Amino acid sequence: MIVFSRKKATLGAALGAVTLFAAACGSSGPSGSGGGGGASAWALTGGSQSTFQVSQKNWNAANAKDKVSYQFYANDAYKQKVRVAIGANDAPVLFENWGGGSLKDYANAGKLEALTPSLTAAVKAKYLPSVVNVASFGGQLYGVPINGTQPVVLYYNKDLFAKVGAQPPKTWDDLMALVPKFKAAGIAPLSLAGGSKWPDLMYLEYLVDRIGGPTVFQNIVDGKPGAWSDPAVIKAGQMIHQLVSAGAFANGYQSITYDAGQSSALLYTGKAAMQLMGSWDYAVIQAAQSDFVKSGKLAWTNFPTVTGGQGDPADIVGNPANYFSVTKSSTAVEKASAEKYLKDGVMDGAYVDDLLKNGNVPPVNGLESKLAAAPNAPWLTYQYDLVKNAPSYQLSWDQALSSSAGDSLLTNLDQLFLKKITPQQFAQNMSKVGK
Amino acid sequence: MTGISASARVKRPRGGAPLLMALPALLLFGLFALLPMVFVVILSVSKWDGLGDISWAGGANWSHLWNSGVTRHALWLTAKVMIFSWVIQTPISLLLGVFLAGRQRYRALLAAVFFVPLLLSSAAVALAYRNLLDPNFGLTQSLKDGPFDLLAKDWLGNQNLVLFTVIFVISWQFVPFHSLLYQAGVRQIPATMYEAARLDGASTIQQFFFVTLPQLRYTIVTSSTLMLVGSLTYFDVVFIMTGGGPGYSTRLLPLDMYITGFQSHDFGEASAIAVVLVAAGLAISLGLVKFSGFSRMQSQTAGA
Amino acid sequence: MMSLLTERRQRQLAAQPDRLANKTRPRRRVGNVPGALFSLMWLGIVIVPLYWMVITSLRTQNGFFDGSPLAWPKHPTLDNYRTVLDNDFWRYLMNSVIVTVGGVGLTLAVSLMAAYAIVRSKRRFVRGTFNLFLLGLAIPLQATIIPIYYMIVKLHLYDTLLALVLPSAAFAVPITVVILTNFLRDVPGELFESMHVEGAGEWRMLFSLAIPLVRPAITTVAVYDALQIWNGFLFPLILTQSPDLRVLPLALFDFQGQFTVNVPAIIASVVLSTLPILALYIVGRRQLVSGLTAGFGK
Repeated sequence: MIVFSRKKATLGAALGAVTLFAAACGSSGPSGSGGGGGASAWALTGGSQSTFQVSQKNWNAANAKDKVSYQFYANDAYKQKVRVAIGANDAPVLFENWGGGSLKDYANAGKLEALTPSLTAAVKAKYLPSVVNVASFGGQLYGVPINGTQPVVLYYNKDLFAKVGAQPPKTWDDLMALVPKFKAAGIAPLSLAGGSKWPDLMYLEYLVDRIGGPTVFQNIVDGKPGAWSDPAVIKAGQMIHQLVSAGAFANGYQSITYDAGQSSALLYTGKAAMQLMGSWDYAVIQAAQSDFVKSGKLAWTNFPTVTGGQGDPADIVGNPANYFSVTKSSTAVEKASAEKYLKDGVMDGAYVDDLLKNGNVPPVNGLESKLAAAPNAPWLTYQYDLVKNAPSYQLSWDQALSSSAGDSLLTNLDQLFLKKITPQQFAQNMSKVGK
Repeated sequence: MTGISASARVKRPRGGAPLLMALPALLLFGLFALLPMVFVVILSVSKWDGLGDISWAGGANWSHLWNSGVTRHALWLTAKVMIFSWVIQTPISLLLGVFLAGRQRYRALLAAVFFVPLLLSSAAVALAYRNLLDPNFGLTQSLKDGPFDLLAKDWLGNQNLVLFTVIFVISWQFVPFHSLLYQAGVRQIPATMYEAARLDGASTIQQFFFVTLPQLRYTIVTSSTLMLVGSLTYFDVVFIMTGGGPGYSTRLLPLDMYITGFQSHDFGEASAIAVVLVAAGLAISLGLVKFSGFSRMQSQTAGA
Repeated sequence: MMSLLTERRQRQLAAQPDRLANKTRPRRRVGNVPGALFSLMWLGIVIVPLYWMVITSLRTQNGFFDGSPLAWPKHPTLDNYRTVLDNDFWRYLMNSVIVTVGGVGLTLAVSLMAAYAIVRSKRRFVRGTFNLFLLGLAIPLQATIIPIYYMIVKLHLYDTLLALVLPSAAFAVPITVVILTNFLRDVPGELFESMHVEGAGEWRMLFSLAIPLVRPAITTVAVYDALQIWNGFLFPLILTQSPDLRVLPLALFDFQGQFTVNVPAIIASVVLSTLPILALYIVGRRQLVSGLTAGFGK
């Protein structure tokens, strides 16, 4: 009769067992520094990544017992990733965030460790107060700024402007007038990464502020009834529709995502004339095509004013900074290492210099002289002055609101930019969403 | 002699070893497939945001589901994808399968090349196509103003086109599989039937419709079953290529579920969507199984 | 007439469904003009994207933006492949291998036993589980992902490769059981009877008789399951998070954020991730193809 090889079966079983064992052991959770000190940190790819890497190298060389290990993630999926990880209590010790309402969610759910009094005092002394406030809730401080302040500016391609003989827009009407000019020359007026949705937000934020001032959004944050139906919001929506109808946004904007880098690529490959984007994009462009920056083709200006608007033209929107927060699920030793790094490693001399080198402005007190001496001085001084002189510095709305409200905002805004809903419908939909 | 074979097949062994043998599979499947189904129903009437605790929500998720219209739209999109997938993939697979069953020398080489898309992971296919169809830097865009200008559209950004782009990419990946099934099916058809048809004066086309197709009935049912049930669960390709957008235009049912759960953090409602998904899957499967008599799996050598 | 199907003949039958056609090829195939034309067109549709992928992977990052996408790159380079390989590609490959081998192994082990039980058991309950598995084919994997996420977290298996192996195997079980049961039913009862008369127990019969007889089916279904698990994306996306536990499809997805505008590098990673399967395909094509059709043709 047929004899089945017992040997083969046992070999197979053994192989299977080894594989399953390998699978079970293949778990390197982020808080795995072998029970000792040290802290794992999650951060974003892009603008400040190289600074973090340099910091990691320097810090670990000098602090063997409190090593910090970074892991980098792309922006678009990052927020979900963090949320899932924290929800599973399998989060890193430190994670990058934007402060505001979304960080508050975590604090309210008891997932964050408030900073110790000594660290809090140190932070308050070192950094610009407006920036520190964004990470404080209920009298406790939950985050330390880790990178440059990131106002949103209007980048433009100097070459393209020279080509059509135009000047950077100062008012909204200027901007609208530029649209047909660029289109006639086969250039997209504005590059927009609509696929990621949050770049749309910059237009809404600036327009609402220019038209109605910062109180409009403050009412929304405070949950005042009818806040979303403020005429400023409606008008902003209408102006956005104006832009879309005029074909101002680059071809395919609905599907271009920021992370894939194409929206910025449009600017430096001469396909689009302008992009409204945060200051981190400077470093991204510099890394992708340094010549474009070196030869001075990359230029920037403030968001245009709106004639008859009540907002101060010097107001800005953006991210006051990104922060590191400490998760409660970490061990005491890890938390201690983390705090040490936050106090002495983050934003030390070399760290600040590296940020400056990449065109980022750390929100640190007393930086003026360093800025003037740094490479990229014109860009840095522009940013610093912009932030220093701004009467109001609005945090990106999707971060200022709670997580679920922020998500609804992005979804509805997407619909608005696709002209699938009217500004009134947008206001209506947002009113229905809880805070 | 025949009498012994019939009864020998029917005779069953004594002993309880078989029960023990079936247990591991049942446990594994039960724990990771059946139990979650029960949970999903429970979660669909609960409220959970992934961070806090699970609490009772009653019918709130379901009424919101129905009223918001997003999930209804997702259902509609999914139905569209299912129907169009079938309408596009089946004729193509049929034609290819019939052709590949032939005896041309290069047939084997063709078949080998055709099979490659099936080997790629959905992630690979989606990423490749996403860049290929890029509205500014992709392959299709470069065809503008050339002889293939028709292809230079905004395949991923235009809300009217994007669903068909998705269907095309999925077809690109799965047609090889179905054409393989048809190829095997055609090979089973005895030549005598074609001889008979030719003697009756049937043309090539008539032979196709009156001999080939009827004989392939069983294969068509198999392929269609797999295609329809499979198209209910397309996630990977769509997620990576469009993320459900632009807007809601490719937000199919599985994507709606993922986005509601893992992006909006409403796991209760997402579970309700999951229940809808399961119900739809079961309905289609049961319907098709009944229709085709699949469960009456007879041994093919019966009566030999 | 009773026919004792020898093991060899069983294998022949299973592996060559087209043996009929070999003898009785219909002649009309030669003149299948519409079929030929269409196949040529489909060939183009298949090849152009594949060609584009290979070409793009050989471009430099800057070279991607100028020149026609279909033209041969001015300065072809293998740098992108180097970049991808340097970025932990081998680790991701290893992860995929572990999860796939573990998953397929587990699936086969439990499914073989279950299929045997279904065919041989006298209890209706056990035979009835076949219908359960048949129904299980209809359960969409995506629908269960939320509870599975919750369960895995509670079992403290979150962010492990085991977390991928278990659910993947569980979802491969229905089709595996169904196909194996099908093949096993072809084995004539008298073979078992004669062994039984000689005093063999059920387990012995499973190992010595059943498994060797359905070996072609095992290969078929193993390949199918392996392909499914190897290309799986949703489970890794939700149940793992550490970069060093990424499997290939997930790594591809994450590469996109890492390399931002370096499209050639992204495409190089796509090509690289396909090479292992492609290699296996070239080596085992006949087996895979004939096995797939035999398995599903039933």
